[in-house]
Amino acid sequence: MSQVELEARNLIAQDRLAEAEALLRQALASGSGAASLWRMLGAAIRGQGRVAEARPIQELLVDAMPGDLSMRFDLAETLLVLGEFERGWREYHYRYQMPHTTRIERKVQKPRWDGRPIPGKTLLIHDEQGYGDTFQFMRMVPWAKARSGARVVLEINHEMHSLAARMGGFDAITLRGQLPPTFDEHCEMMSLPMAMGLKLEDLPGSPMPYLTADPERLALWRDRLKDLPRPLVCLVWAGRPTHLNDARRSMSLPMLAPLASSGATFLSIQKGPTEGLATEPPEGMTLVNLSPEIRDFEDTAAILTVADLLISVDSSPVHLAGALGRPVWVMLPFIPDWRWLMHREDTPWYPAHRLFRQASPGDWDGVVRKMVQALAERSPPGKTGQRRGSVKPPR
Amino acid sequence: MSGAKYQVMNTTPQSAPGLSIDQALAQAHAHWDAGQNIPAEMLCQQVLAVWPGQSDALHLLGLMAYAFGNVDLAIDNLRRACQAPRVAPVYLSNLAEMCRQRGLLAEGEEAARRAVGLEPTLVGAWNNLGIIQQEAGKLEESLASLTRVVGLKPDDALARNNLGNTLKRLGRLDEARQQYEAALALMPNYAEAHSNLGSLLNDLGRSDEALASIRRAMDINPRLADAYINASGVETARRRYDDALRWIDGLLSFAPLHPGGLAAKASVLVSMERPDQAVDVALQAVSAAPQSGDALLALGEALHAQGQLDQALLAFDKAIALGGLTVEKAMINRASVKTEQGDKEAALADLKAVIERFPNSASAWLPLSDMKKFKAADPDIARMERLAGPGVLLARSEATAVRFALGKAWMDAGDAERAFEHLNEGNRMMRETFAYDADETSRWIASIGQALDAKTFKRLSGGGAPSDAPVFVIGVPRSGTTLLEQILASHAAVHGAGELSAMRTLTDAYGGPAALVSALTPDVATQIGRDYLAEIAKLGGGKARVVDKMPSNFLLAGLIPLVLPGAHIIHVKRDPVDTCLSCYSKLFAREQLFTYDLTELGRFYRDYEAIMAHWRKVLPADRFLEVQYEAVVDDLEGQARRMIEFIGLPWDDAVLDFHKTKRRVRTASVNQVRQPLFNTSVGRWKPFAKQLRPLTDALGLLEP
Repeated sequence: MSQVELEARNLIAQDRLAEAEALLRQALASGSGAASLWRMLGAAIRGQGRVAEARPIQELLVDAMPGDLSMRFDLAETLLVLGEFERGWREYHYRYQMPHTTRIERKVQKPRWDGRPIPGKTLLIHDEQGYGDTFQFMRMVPWAKARSGARVVLEINHEMHSLAARMGGFDAITLRGQLPPTFDEHCEMMSLPMAMGLKLEDLPGSPMPYLTADPERLALWRDRLKDLPRPLVCLVWAGRPTHLNDARRSMSLPMLAPLASSGATFLSIQKGPTEGLATEPPEGMTLVNLSPEIRDFEDTAAILTVADLLISVDSSPVHLAGALGRPVWVMLPFIPDWRWLMHREDTPWYPAHRLFRQASPGDWDGVVRKMVQALAERSPPGKTGQRRGSVKPPR
Repeated sequence: MSGAKYQVMNTTPQSAPGLSIDQALAQAHAHWDAGQNIPAEMLCQQVLAVWPGQSDALHLLGLMAYAFGNVDLAIDNLRRACQAPRVAPVYLSNLAEMCRQRGLLAEGEEAARRAVGLEPTLVGAWNNLGIIQQEAGKLEESLASLTRVVGLKPDDALARNNLGNTLKRLGRLDEARQQYEAALALMPNYAEAHSNLGSLLNDLGRSDEALASIRRAMDINPRLADAYINASGVETARRRYDDALRWIDGLLSFAPLHPGGLAAKASVLVSMERPDQAVDVALQAVSAAPQSGDALLALGEALHAQGQLDQALLAFDKAIALGGLTVEKAMINRASVKTEQGDKEAALADLKAVIERFPNSASAWLPLSDMKKFKAADPDIARMERLAGPGVLLARSEATAVRFALGKAWMDAGDAERAFEHLNEGNRMMRETFAYDADETSRWIASIGQALDAKTFKRLSGGGAPSDAPVFVIGVPRSGTTLLEQILASHAAVHGAGELSAMRTLTDAYGGPAALVSALTPDVATQIGRDYLAEIAKLGGGKARVVDKMPSNFLLAGLIPLVLPGAHIIHVKRDPVDTCLSCYSKLFAREQLFTYDLTELGRFYRDYEAIMAHWRKVLPADRFLEVQYEAVVDDLEGQARRMIEFIGLPWDDAVLDFHKTKRRVRTASVNQVRQPLFNTSVGRWKPFAKQLRPLTDALGLLEP
């Protein structure tokens, strides 16, 4: 590895992206240089929020080295975050062929569905790793059934079984790890957009919402929450810690302290290692800790249905609430995951979502300040908690 | 077997506790179809615990190992699966294909033959047999097997693609192309067929279309190794070596030990005149795949370029012994090494054997034509004429080679008309493969003289690395540099190092000769001189003088005394038209971009004359000697004594027997310096004066 490469790598690891960019630009001033340097330049530019500027570099790299699938994945993320779905989904197809992902690729021995009608055949659609991904993309299962004319078997993780079963739009359901019925073709859930040529204007699609809470659980949680003064605002401040980008997407409960001034009742639905923080709410915040009472996604779905708003970092409850048609304020890092696109405050995926983006890397304070203001506009002083809130869709 | 009902324990949580072997196998297959390898593997192992050697379980385990990239383990399982008394033919067919992928051609062929023996309509087995035969070089048998597949299943795109490959190797390019196109009509996203079609288009000299087709293959499958090798082949054919290397590095970035990729890289490095690196890479290729003909061929070519002739012969011998597709090239290369070693008979035997086996091998006809003298009635002329005729579609490089061979033959036979018909066509085909700008070349050569005028030369003189070892023989290619080197190297105290690129490389590091002049501080001069001396020290074998006969060093002649004050420079001159005719009638192995068009050739010659006239004024007489080729032919001893005295050595009688000297000679003149001197190459152009008009015009000569 060259000296420049080493230095640039260190700078990028320390998030000193502008310095990394300057160093790399100097090394590449002649217009040619090692692919590894160009790749880091693309990453340094993208990391500073100039995603569109990184794109031609990443396209050139893919053009010069078509077989480097990690570079293709970089490009996929850039294209998708820019809303360039057509090529974006195609490049995203290589997500299981990078050094750290080949081990988890599932080697299904039947052909992958290419989006064409296959009446009379059986199509197995299987979900992948993230719960959020599955909540977001399971809306396409009924679309795939309509398009393919096939008998559709949905294979899904155990935790989401009952929610998925209620959604319908397929012919049979099977759980991950079980032997599925015989099938002719298959498709990963996250490959449906490529197979079906999903475009921005197809979103959010119908039906919307596509998930519903379980009536019994709903009754239980209505009862549990009936005495709490409204508005009821659910809080999630951290995602799954094993997520590659968790350090950037997660925050902490104390950072949300300024929200207390709104006078709303906050409900912690945080799960995972940091859920215990809810027992020590920030000064002045009314925080009811529901976390220990939540047994599964059915509980979360019912709570979200009863509550007025979810305020959350980029994690699976955001998608569950969206699929249920519930209002959500999403707190996003400076460079968000591709699914949130760039710059806009709304998202085509969920009509009742509002996005609060960091104005600079790591700036959660600014995000919280904007939300305090938005909460104040939403429920003017003196009228707190009396209406059954609904957040007006942005735009 | 299928009726057996042994009970096996099943610990898979979702399954019933007891299953028959058939049920267990059916479930294992269903799990594997769904990509659930762990329960599938457990079920297979349970079957094998009850019935070791159960064929279906072993086969499925083999398929899984194969899917996870472990071909050796897969072969091991399939071998055992195929030991069952009533083995399913498709298992044998699968074993055959896996053996092929690991280069186990004999075992693969046997398995495939057993498969088709058991089930003569098993299309997949015929297909696998056909490609094994193809790789083993049994092209006619391969053709029969694959034609059978296409007959049984006309819409089998894979078979059409494979048939295309066999036809291409048989030299039946038109038919090959039809098969690729048929495959693509059946399966438009068939990456291999796009890549193969690209390679064929490249053979036909249609590089842009070729690359587009190969690009398409990469779009469909970015990890298709052959596509990268073929793309590099396209760039090599049009001499864009950096691009060729880039493609190969693109392949090696995700498959670092790909033997075909390493072999291709070695070949490109040979073309780039980087033989040391080429040898390193070729050795990696051979160690990755000791049974690969491509790897051995690449190693041989790299060693050949490095000057390790005996080692190169060993590599070629191994490739020939392997059989397979590389035999033709390996034999031609062996002949070329033998020629350089002065073993003309062995070389001729190899070339004749190649032509016997591969009558369309123009690459064999070309060196053969150089080794003999033709008369008009020679049947070989008719055989070559057939290759150049409209009935045979040759690859571009082969079609070019046969034109040069015929040009030589008809010149021998004294038929100027026919000779030039072929030479013009061959040169035209060659000229199409690269870009060359004669104006640019003129300006560049003139700029060297302008940068280094007599005053500047004087100012920069007096430094450099002192040594009287280096002797430079310079001139235009084909002017007699090889002859002079051979004469000098016959002296006991002289080593002939051949054509070294060292001086050019050292100059290029400073941006070329003109730029170097302005950068030439005393330190730089000493450093370049030392670097050059280090380079020849490796080759010189302790001799007092080392001759570097790179002709194009004439461009750098003024720089040489500035970095190597003790060096001697000998400029050989020859009749301009004879020299140019000789250039024009040769298909050079090295880069000589100016020789494939008579006008460009003439212009280059004038540029050369101009810069030499300039050096004549600049260079000191004790460092610079000019020798007329024709004078050497007339009076060998007189001229030889003049040269030996000039380079400061005592006389040695061996010099006069230069044609007996056993040393390697690697240039287009290799067959001439093995003969005593005759007058045949003086005034040779006169009978072709009419055909050479564009040249004589460009040279500014009056009509003879």
